[in-house]
Amino acid sequence: MTPHAELPVPEVTYKGANRRYRRIFIPVMTFYVVFCFVGPLLMMLYEGAPPIWLMATVGVISGVPIAVVFWLIGRYLRETDEFTRQIQLDALLPAAGITLSLAVIWGFLELYLVVPRAKIFSPMIMVGPAFFFFYSMTFTAQRILRGESLKDVPHIGTRER
Amino acid sequence: MKNRLRDLRAAKGWSQGDLADALGVSRQSINALETGKFDPSLPLAFRIARLFSKRIEDIFDDGLGAMKRAAE
Repeated sequence: MTPHAELPVPEVTYKGANRRYRRIFIPVMTFYVVFCFVGPLLMMLYEGAPPIWLMATVGVISGVPIAVVFWLIGRYLRETDEFTRQIQLDALLPAAGITLSLAVIWGFLELYLVVPRAKIFSPMIMVGPAFFFFYSMTFTAQRILRGESLKDVPHIGTRER
Repeated sequence: MKNRLRDLRAAKGWSQGDLADALGVSRQSINALETGKFDPSLPLAFRIARLFSKRIEDIFDDGLGAMKRAAE
């Protein structure tokens, strides 16, 4: 007999948390990627400079999916099991620290005119991707430093068989 | 912290996945618990103890219980 019959399963489980994460993450990220192309195309429909309301709308809509992902990560951390929460927080917090520190350093370098103020592609757009890049690095580093497997790890949103 | 989780699970014939599903945690959590790399919170320890119909101190040993028994 499996243990299922002997104990009521908690309301939100590790698998449930992953399922709920994927259910929103996949459509939101699909929208994000598509809108990164559709947004500029919408603005190109105008001859000359597009109206400010359109540029502001496209700008905000482009960034909202990233905010949704941060909210999703927070909900996931509340819902998942304590071991997964611990190893994810061990990676997420240093990643946030590294990203914000680099952003502040970059800001001061801009202020003191050491680096040019970017005109075409703002470094601010890179803060989100940089955070997720550093998160993957800190997550991997934590596992290596602890001598633990990189394969047998509970990842956010994973589909466990 | 030492524990008897692996023995208790094996005695029931459950896989790590079976136990993980029953407790609502990841299979990796069970592995981390069994290898002593992770200590459960009090609520999870209670859930584990109730699942095996045992007391928490019958499953988990912080070392002090064994020392106390030896002193007696």
